[in-house]
Amino acid sequence: MRISEQAKQESRARILEKAAELFIDKGFEDTTTRDIAIAAGLAAGTMFNYFPSKETLGMSLVTEALHTGIGDFHCRRTGDEELSEELFLMINSGLRRLRPLRSFLGPVLERSLSPFPRKNVCQEGETARCEHLKAVQQIIGRHGFTEAPDYVAMTIYWSLYLGILAFWTNDTSPNQEETQALVDYAVRTFVQVISGSEKEALHGAE
Amino acid sequence: MGQSDRTATSHSLLLKALPKDPAMDPAGQRLAELVNGIAGKKVPVSSFARIWSLGSLNARLTAGYFAYWLRSLFVGQDERQRLKSEAHLAAALKLFGTMGYLRGAVMKIGQLLANLPEVVPEEFAEVLSALHFEAPPMHYAMVREVVLDEFGREPEELFAFFDREAFAAASLGQVHRARLKSGEEVAVKIQYPGIARTIRTDLRNFRLLLQPLCLTSDWQNTLDKLADIEQMLLMETDYEQEAYFNEKARELFTEADRVVVPQVYGEYTTKRVLTTDYLAGSHLDQFLSRNPSQDERDHFTTLLTVATFRAYFQRHWFLADPHPGNFIFMEDGRLGLIDFGCTRIITDDEWELIRDLERAILDRDEAGLNRIVATACLFDDPEQIEPERLDVVRRGVCWSMEPWLHEGLFDFGDREFFRRGIDNLMEMTRKRYTRGNPLYLWSNRFIFGGRAFCCRLKGRCEFRKIYMQELAWVHPDAAGTKENKGC
Repeated sequence: MRISEQAKQESRARILEKAAELFIDKGFEDTTTRDIAIAAGLAAGTMFNYFPSKETLGMSLVTEALHTGIGDFHCRRTGDEELSEELFLMINSGLRRLRPLRSFLGPVLERSLSPFPRKNVCQEGETARCEHLKAVQQIIGRHGFTEAPDYVAMTIYWSLYLGILAFWTNDTSPNQEETQALVDYAVRTFVQVISGSEKEALHGAE
Repeated sequence: MGQSDRTATSHSLLLKALPKDPAMDPAGQRLAELVNGIAGKKVPVSSFARIWSLGSLNARLTAGYFAYWLRSLFVGQDERQRLKSEAHLAAALKLFGTMGYLRGAVMKIGQLLANLPEVVPEEFAEVLSALHFEAPPMHYAMVREVVLDEFGREPEELFAFFDREAFAAASLGQVHRARLKSGEEVAVKIQYPGIARTIRTDLRNFRLLLQPLCLTSDWQNTLDKLADIEQMLLMETDYEQEAYFNEKARELFTEADRVVVPQVYGEYTTKRVLTTDYLAGSHLDQFLSRNPSQDERDHFTTLLTVATFRAYFQRHWFLADPHPGNFIFMEDGRLGLIDFGCTRIITDDEWELIRDLERAILDRDEAGLNRIVATACLFDDPEQIEPERLDVVRRGVCWSMEPWLHEGLFDFGDREFFRRGIDNLMEMTRKRYTRGNPLYLWSNRFIFGGRAFCCRLKGRCEFRKIYMQELAWVHPDAAGTKENKGC
């Protein structure tokens, strides 16, 4: 029997929803793919047609949240923001969407977004990375940078971003407000790197 | 203007505004070089923070005052020891330059440290006012995140109008104008994210770094004062607490008093966001620029005196942040009081001691005064206090009580009077007679801040009469007591 595309999408959404619930309740490590399949009312084998591993599942949740976050960012930006402000808004819009998943994200992000060489690169992680960096490049482009930033600048950006994510997953302050301060700092550091002057970073200091 | 011209201007401004040490550095040149040297130096670990915090002239000025306070501790040391101490000072200053990722916290702590009585602020009023109304460091995207976290809605959704540009810097945050959907014009104070942790970390680092400098017998007392500062600053991070003080203060005044405390809008207030009525009017500088008449000056001095006495007698409070930004000269002649974040509640024991002190002065009870001064200076036995310390501290107490004893109009615009208070504070610092209950940090701030304000205002008022009126509110029989008969 062929199942319709709509039914597929529904199953996929149900798996993600149940996985998120279980990860939040039991933690990422203690949840098995079998638990998720049962909760979603599917055979384990069927579930693997959708998500080949628990990591992929976890990272799919992240990718979707970040994707929605980029959408939020586009709605929220006013067009009056300075470069660092716009980057701040984009990063925070993503974090806001990730927030419901925060309790189990540490191991997911570690495995799927690790910048170190790995045998199996997580495709979901790669998708999230590419989409995020594309959004960053668009922002930079809007602020008078005619050439796309080179790999050094983007590597620096990504390193800062991973640092923010790591800090954020551990941040115990109310509403992760300390992460907000860190994002502000990190973004200004990056802007300073690509603008080659302290002008932007110094904005408002005098 | 070229970079070097700007640097030169910045240096000369700094030099002009920094305190001068008559013995060690009469022109203030060495201090300015020290502060500028540190501001210009790359700090490998956190050069970024340096850009933020010592980038502005005001931040450097604060660093200068801090340095001045520290250097005053070196007086009397031999040359070798002094060099060693200066090396520690450079390290402490470097930390000062890098501490706190947000300048707001640096400025706030700087201000408070500059108000330790150990510090000698020569241009007290000018410097204090210069340190306020800094360009706010939070961009709008950050403000939105705070509002969204606190209320679950964007500022534009929450309010009918929300100004993206802040109009003032405030206690550990910045203030934006807005309009409620019900039409009221409001001021929305937004706190910097993560400020409480910064305060704790910064003050801990301070204590660690200052330790080698301060191995004096009064070091513990300095620690106690720093602990008091920390506690007050942390209290200031709770805007719900401030809203409570604000409302309690509001209850103190009727329409006839001509003193206005803005209403808090609880629905739009959380620990991180405080929404109150916006009070239209001028701050001191604007008011003075209109060249007001003596009557107007006296009028506002009277209102300020009434307001502070009422909070003092009825609530046992020191409004410990009496900087010009917290007072609004309203068009219709009313005085607006804003920002109750730095309200120090006087404990019952402290209150007894202060009232005993006041009574001893008003009754001209010499022996009683000596005993109370000794207690206030933390001597168990009045015999232990050195005669010179007793003399200096007593003069300070008497100076602060002079207006209480004066019949008729008291002229706070008399610079000679203000100067004597500052000179006494300097003498106390030089001789290191500053040991005392941490409360005196706040009472000093209250008295000197308020008097500096009234001195700039060149205002006069019937101080003693107001004192007796306000005292009579809480002690209806007091008007007939010995304390209030001729002195």
